Amino acid sequence: MKAIKYLFTLGLLLFAATSCMNEHDEPVFTTPPFGNNSIGEANTTIEELKEKYASVISASGVKEITEDIIIEGVVVANDESGNIYKQFVIDDGTGSIIVGVNDVGLYAVMVRGQKVIIDCKGLHVGGYGKMAQIGGLYNGKIGRMQKVIYPKHVKLLGTPAEDYYGIEPQLIDENFFTNGNKEKLPLYVRMNNVSFVEANGTNLYAPEDEANSSNVVERRIKMGNTNVIFRFSTYADFANEVLPQGNFDIVGILTRYNDYWQFMLSATSDIYPIEPVNR
Amino acid sequence: MNKILKFASMLLLAIFCCTTGAVATNSAVLQSNIRSVSDSTQRTIYIDRGKDLLNKEIKRDPIHTPDTTLLNQPSVTANEYDAFTFSEGQLDEDEDVIQGSSTMTGSNDDYFLSEVGYLFSPMRFRIRAYENMYNNVYANGVLLNDAERGNFSYGMIGGLNDATRNREGSTFLENTSYGYSSVGGASNINMRASQYAAGHKASLVGCNRNYLARAMYTYSTGLMDNGWAFTGSASYRWANEGVIEGTFYNSFGYFFAAEKRINDKHSISIATWGSPTERAQQGAATEEAYWLANSHYYNPNWGYQNGEKRNARVVTSFEPTVLFTWDWQINKETRLTTSVAGKYGKYGTTALGWNGNAADPRPNYYQNLPSAAYDVWDPSYTPTEDEIADWQQRYSYWKSSKANRQIDWDYMYFANKQANAAGGNALYYVEKRNNDQMMLNLSSILNHEINNNEKITLGLNVGTTKGMHYKTLDDLLGSNSYGTDIDKFSVGDFAPGSDYVQNDVDNPNRIIKEGDVFGYDYDIYVNNARLFTQYTFNNSIANITLGAHIDGTTMERYGNMRNGRAINNSKGSSGTAKFFSGGAKLGVVWNINGNNTISFGWGLENRAPLAYNSFIAPRMRNDFVYGLENEEIWSQEISYKLNYGPVTAKFTGYYTQFDDVVEQSAFYNDMLSNFTYLSMTGLQKKHYGVEAAIVYNVTSALSFNIVGTWNEAEYTKNGNGFLISENEKVVQNDMVYMDGAHVDGSPLTALSFGVDYNTNGWYLSANANYYDRVYIGASSYRRLSSVVGAPEVDEQGNTILDIPTQYKGKGGWLVDASIGKSIRLRGGKQLNLNLQLQNILNNEDMVTGGYEQNRDDNYSDGEARTYKFSKNPFLYYANAFNFYLNIGLRF
Repeated sequence: MKAIKYLFTLGLLLFAATSCMNEHDEPVFTTPPFGNNSIGEANTTIEELKEKYASVISASGVKEITEDIIIEGVVVANDESGNIYKQFVIDDGTGSIIVGVNDVGLYAVMVRGQKVIIDCKGLHVGGYGKMAQIGGLYNGKIGRMQKVIYPKHVKLLGTPAEDYYGIEPQLIDENFFTNGNKEKLPLYVRMNNVSFVEANGTNLYAPEDEANSSNVVERRIKMGNTNVIFRFSTYADFANEVLPQGNFDIVGILTRYNDYWQFMLSATSDIYPIEPVNR
Repeated sequence: MNKILKFASMLLLAIFCCTTGAVATNSAVLQSNIRSVSDSTQRTIYIDRGKDLLNKEIKRDPIHTPDTTLLNQPSVTANEYDAFTFSEGQLDEDEDVIQGSSTMTGSNDDYFLSEVGYLFSPMRFRIRAYENMYNNVYANGVLLNDAERGNFSYGMIGGLNDATRNREGSTFLENTSYGYSSVGGASNINMRASQYAAGHKASLVGCNRNYLARAMYTYSTGLMDNGWAFTGSASYRWANEGVIEGTFYNSFGYFFAAEKRINDKHSISIATWGSPTERAQQGAATEEAYWLANSHYYNPNWGYQNGEKRNARVVTSFEPTVLFTWDWQINKETRLTTSVAGKYGKYGTTALGWNGNAADPRPNYYQNLPSAAYDVWDPSYTPTEDEIADWQQRYSYWKSSKANRQIDWDYMYFANKQANAAGGNALYYVEKRNNDQMMLNLSSILNHEINNNEKITLGLNVGTTKGMHYKTLDDLLGSNSYGTDIDKFSVGDFAPGSDYVQNDVDNPNRIIKEGDVFGYDYDIYVNNARLFTQYTFNNSIANITLGAHIDGTTMERYGNMRNGRAINNSKGSSGTAKFFSGGAKLGVVWNINGNNTISFGWGLENRAPLAYNSFIAPRMRNDFVYGLENEEIWSQEISYKLNYGPVTAKFTGYYTQFDDVVEQSAFYNDMLSNFTYLSMTGLQKKHYGVEAAIVYNVTSALSFNIVGTWNEAEYTKNGNGFLISENEKVVQNDMVYMDGAHVDGSPLTALSFGVDYNTNGWYLSANANYYDRVYIGASSYRRLSSVVGAPEVDEQGNTILDIPTQYKGKGGWLVDASIGKSIRLRGGKQLNLNLQLQNILNNEDMVTGGYEQNRDDNYSDGEARTYKFSKNPFLYYANAFNFYLNIGLRF
């Protein structure tokens, strides 16, 4: 009987001593565990970059950047809602540029309001439908940079800021669509007092049955007497949400495809109703 | 007494013989056929190693025998396979890898059966390629198999080698005094405290397998003068990192038993045991990933966090069990054994989860691989410069650092911090899929010797099981918010705010915190009852065994959540499906003379489908699979056994057919971005083959042996498939081209040449084993007629279907050896040393199993994808060279 008692005690002790092996300390980050922290400071503004390669961009061409060009900007649009795919947009106050990366879920790091430095040397710059983009080469045109080289070219600065480090969208009015300079696109903009032409209380943002072959549904936004095309992806989280009626202010990225104006929305939270609307 | 028993038994047999056609139906689902049956049987024998039965003179005391050379060592089986088998009831992508551990029938009467269990274990051999559900494991006559999934969970007795050593195994056709054996055989663990050898036993193991060290201590009083016996055993298995990188092992085991012999007639006993275990798993990978990692033991399940290795797939299990037994020796000829076993098991497996738009964090996700850059499989395709550069970049990334091939935990924590900073929810998290189970089984078995030649057994098994299946949030990976319990994959598909996206409409938008249940929560109830009988006639010329059973099974799903995608059929009861089934068998052994024996056996069995396979999309719905019916198993075999001087041999041929088989697979379907279920009914499988064992005893100390088997095990009919995705975007009936697919995960050809030598307490053995025809799991999804596409007609007018070719591992040799020594010390103490060496030639190219990817090479519009899923099956490889050193002391 004694032995049984010992055994029992031994068993309990062993059991108690058997601690959990699957415990791990939460990482504390002094530097971000993503990107290339050895990249130096920015030496070029986004506007300067776009001007430098203006001829390539406007010709929808592509060129490898061989100089030491480093830009800095704040992420103003990303792929979080799924409406934008494998891209994010940065703005430094002088202008915006699209960054193409062949990966999904970029918003995991490129949160809106995150400041980022991009070492452009070795990347490609060019015009996609005449619009400025940096990324990689794809069939002789500007495309997305490969996922594995992407972290080598970016460095994160600080934490995402609610005020986007002071970067404000440019307020544009309807005249911009006649007088505005398309060469400046993409542009981080705000448009006030606009409405969806298609909004009737039942129409959705991007139902599959209205999509084109690229899984995109085009909607028009009415600004004064001008209609601007909005492109929505059927893969967006809000694709099956009803288009809001009434007037609102909206923030997003004004883009072009060749000579057509277009507009990219990051999230429906960038729509600010002016008056009560039916959402 | 005799007459009554005989009458009862014959009545049962008569019922089976006379009943044909549908017996009972319930408005809900079922139907069953019971036909006349038969089967053969022989006496059951205590397992040691079985060699003595082939007139070998080695008589090994089980205590002398090193743990792992003992046939049927449950915990060995479990240990060696744990990391591979994923025997957990998880409905996820790993479902494809479920491959049984090689449960052995363990009959001592058959050298082949007694040897191959251990001998072929490095290749996870299953006898006749039968699934584990066809092998029954009993303890004191109570069935311990999982009623939902059919198989016996070795984790239940993990590490308790000493406590489970008293095992009695029998083939399908042998008489079993403890229960009815299924087509894959049965075994019974005797857990009565008095049945353990009195004294102390301690052992230490050092090895390089899933665990690195094991300590075990066992003490038994033996049956004391006061009629009491006590036995206790404790063990601990440990590895901070097992032989597979990124895995760990942390397992404790306990066993206590007490028995009281009240008088000559009555004895009661109680036993309780459990093995709280925590272990990290190995995952399969494609050959490309193995090539990039330069190892067939690359494990994609782990990654660095703070510079330390962390595994995403951790199993925690603890299945404490209590067993009461009452033995009543009614008279000299009659014994009644009644046992009740109860269990409350907790079983959980962790897995990474991520928000719908976040990138797949698994390092071997196909988009990360070089072959996703361009079609590397088409020799006529000339890649562009960009594509070559892309391939090169991916290749370099994989090769340049180990961390690049593994999970990046730091990145996930960082992403969650970033999201929090912007007021968002966690992108990445760890979830735990729980499959808990409550079980209560009762058995009562009457054994009666009619006379010296005749024996009869009557038994009753009744059991109830409640399986509890739910998901909990295990770790938010540094995030302060998971968000609400909605199906993230459905968000874009439905209007936001609609009930559709809610996982529990009755508790909409519930905030989920760590530890909370979310996603799904349901219970499966299974009740079963069995009445069986066996009759054996035995004399010097013949041994005839007849057996029969009738079963009743009910099953029900009870949903604890009202799922938004199945509002009217997810919460509450599914209704109860009832199945009535039965079977019978006949075994005849004819001793032609002392040296030649022929035996025949026939068996037929109807069995209810497994509850595990019987529900459509059980995570969310309350619906039974359409057309559920009993599975029908028809088996027959013939053996010839010969003794010729120093040579003994046995040859067996068998044929088993499974009809109306129901199976289900569940997997994440990237094409639909949704979890998807595919149920199949109406399948047919045929298993047939030959087995042979020849032993040549050169001297009493030296013997040579050859053991081999060739099997065919394949699907011989196409299945009726039903495909449903969790967002219900896809709900379709479809044919599944399973005809011709082979049963996977076990070598269908296995051959062993061995030598045994023992002298003066030393024993040595060596075996060269050849294995071939190991198939991997055929994807039912890729065999759906809608995925296969329409048949094409070639120039000769032949109809051609693009059915995937099932991957088959290459044949090869594994060489094993062991050496042991028993030393008798003063005072009756005894020291046992044993060293086993497995895969001495270090063959790292033996595929033990795997699975095809459940994905199509084309997009839904027919356009070809760059990455070829059909060329990239997931594979597992047999362990490289490994050793197992055991030091045991008996005192």
